[in-house]
Amino acid sequence: MDDLGFILLSYIATFGSTAVLAWRVLHRGRALGGQLPDDDKPWV
Amino acid sequence: MRRTEIVSTNTGTTGTTFTRWFGLLAVVALALVAVFGLVLSPPDVVQGESVRILYLHVGTVWVAYLAFVVTAVSSAAYLWKRSSSLTWDRVAGASAEIGVLYMGVTLLTGALWGRLSWGTFWVWDARVTTTAFMFITYIGYLAVRGLGGSHRQRARRSAVVALLAVLEIPLVHFSVELWRSVHQDASVAGRTTDVTLDGLMLFTLLLSTVAFTLVYVWFVLHRQRVLAMEDALDDRGLDYALIERRREGAMR
Repeated sequence: MDDLGFILLSYIATFGSTAVLAWRVLHRGRALGGQLPDDDKPWV
Repeated sequence: MRRTEIVSTNTGTTGTTFTRWFGLLAVVALALVAVFGLVLSPPDVVQGESVRILYLHVGTVWVAYLAFVVTAVSSAAYLWKRSSSLTWDRVAGASAEIGVLYMGVTLLTGALWGRLSWGTFWVWDARVTTTAFMFITYIGYLAVRGLGGSHRQRARRSAVVALLAVLEIPLVHFSVELWRSVHQDASVAGRTTDVTLDGLMLFTLLLSTVAFTLVYVWFVLHRQRVLAMEDALDDRGLDYALIERRREGAMR
């Protein structure tokens, strides 16, 4: 049962850090996208 | 005046229809890793329940290796021709960031697993120590990217660092063979391994590597677009400053 805390912590840390980075990247993208014309965004 | 015009013509973010579907696929794959890793796969006969941590440990270290190799290849592609597109440099930078994140996660999950299996969070073992050294090296690489100068200067100096840093990967990988190590050898693709994995455990391990690879690709696509926009904004900022200086000069 001691193992459960360590196992859950490893899953929370892995998925949590992935989610935080994803949110930061998308948020930064939205913030910058609002300051630039489409010419600077070839993927649009 | 021009600034107002620029702001009014913006649309979209870093996402496209493709990246949205790709991101959804990655999320589903990660959810499956959690279900198989925590619930459906059986405990190991030797390690017991702690083997569930290794599904994350192996998947994330694979992505970290992949990310650092992509960083090196993109850096080499940039240096190959000085006139190369800065996209190579941005892919290298984006890839290294994801690699650092997952190398950090690898060290953390390794420490948690080590506490359960070895009775301690940390040992000065060859594999563990070289992995920590590589982690610090790539933090240094990201710091070098943040130094001042033009985009081309940043690309050139960070590419050189990336090509040197990638030499650590074989050192880390073969450290368990080169030195005495408490870290286990490769369980699936090792040259001398005779370990037999349960079908569901092997499936979960492979699912994890595929899931984290999908996440990695999604991250690189978005992050290198963010870096492209940061560079573009830098360039435009310089344009505005030059226009202002010329205006000031004309008024004198």
